[in-house]
Amino acid sequence: MCTFRKVSLALTMVFVIVASSALMAQSILNHREAQRGEKVVPNGDGSVSLVPDNDAKPAVVTGNGINYNGGPVLQGNPVPIYLIWYGNWNASGSNTAATVSLVEHYVNSLGNTPYEKINSTYGDTTGNVSGNVTLGGAIFDTGSQGTRLNNNRLSAIVTRSFSNGLPTDPNGVYFVLTSSNVSERGFCSSFCGFHTRQTLNGTDIKWAFVGNPDRCPSGCEIQTTGPNSPATGVGGADGLINVLTHEQEEAISDPDLNAWFDNSGQENADKCNFNFGTTSTCNGSNGCTPAGASAGAKFNQTFGGNDWMIQQNWENANGGGCVQHFP
Amino acid sequence: MLARCIPCLLGGVILTWTVAAQEPVVPTLTPTIITATKQVTLFTGLEKQILQAVQKKDKAGLEAMLTEDFEIAMPHADAVAGEDWLDSVLAKDFTLRTFVISQMSVVDLGDYAVVKYERGQQATLKGKAYDGEFFVVDLWKKSGDSWKLANRYVAKIPGVANIKAKARPTGKE
Repeated sequence: MCTFRKVSLALTMVFVIVASSALMAQSILNHREAQRGEKVVPNGDGSVSLVPDNDAKPAVVTGNGINYNGGPVLQGNPVPIYLIWYGNWNASGSNTAATVSLVEHYVNSLGNTPYEKINSTYGDTTGNVSGNVTLGGAIFDTGSQGTRLNNNRLSAIVTRSFSNGLPTDPNGVYFVLTSSNVSERGFCSSFCGFHTRQTLNGTDIKWAFVGNPDRCPSGCEIQTTGPNSPATGVGGADGLINVLTHEQEEAISDPDLNAWFDNSGQENADKCNFNFGTTSTCNGSNGCTPAGASAGAKFNQTFGGNDWMIQQNWENANGGGCVQHFP
Repeated sequence: MLARCIPCLLGGVILTWTVAAQEPVVPTLTPTIITATKQVTLFTGLEKQILQAVQKKDKAGLEAMLTEDFEIAMPHADAVAGEDWLDSVLAKDFTLRTFVISQMSVVDLGDYAVVKYERGQQATLKGKAYDGEFFVVDLWKKSGDSWKLANRYVAKIPGVANIKAKARPTGKE
């Protein structure tokens, strides 16, 4: 009983102290509450001032048809993109060194374009996506896991890349790009690519899979002859670039799969999948290849000295929508 | 003294088990988020159109999307002719409240397409809940510039009574 009284007395005193402190604070601040971006600074005489809070976290913009779910985005300026060329990229069709060169040129040209800046409309509580990407490195893996892949084998390919020249980088995105003789469970029947995250080498690694669409042109290729086709009917490189673009947008704006997606689970690029907007036609006077010009291939972007056909992305601004550039 | 130590020892053992259980043997792969193929995008739209027509009791809309000899096959039951299926889903005592389509894959065979997916639904049949998840295989037939549903094989997935209202599509797991 004695102990009970002591505890009650102690609790009462704590309550009184807390309550009086709260009342004091309330009375000091009663002229105006601190707004976002402001903080309270004591003046030393019992009064306080409201001053700009330079440490304030930026607001996450919402209300544009896609939701913020609390997770981080990749804010690197630039975000490194690492390419793992898996399989036989020294063959025919679009499985060639020309495709490798074209895709690497594309990744190096993409950063800070008005197209990539669409992704800068996404952020978290510490800042926004920069809209800048760069080629962080590229290696070849001619088939360490065979030609019939699954997710575990893809993980092994990414892990193997760390001992073959690529850094272990939690702030980059790794792409496993497979030649068209390589299968992956679900590729072509269900998807053209995917992205995910996984702890590899003790690090949170963001990685993606993109297969050569020449394995299933009707499912994953945009057009049989693209703006960068080396020959008529060889549209794999342009198709691969389109899916790679889709995945890097999502891997940057939703790297841990807990940041940006809508009520039905669609991430930004999902909302514009295979939606290209206004297109132009290749002819002899623009940046298309002769094969692209001859076939009248369609394109909707021009940068880095080439024409590209890449899907639109969902902008988290202006009410939301599939757009080709920001602003 | 020993009695006092027993709780500590037990706590230590449990803590060790817990920590050991948290150590991943194989790196865990978070669900993958896919870029759907053109066919998956197309047929997801068509399957949704059918289900929305069921919700609206839109007989004309449904008939326009089915071949004349459309029928449905189910385990341990006779095949249901298209007209009978229409009668059942358009009946007043059936209400399809919500649905979710997931795990779709499409095999493109030119003039035909085999579409496999899982459908979660919340529905009412004769005043009773008819919720659940179904494994569906549809055969679509090309018809001009469009597609018509020619055949359906459907089975209820046992043990799944409720669907997630906001299921995050994972594509493949």
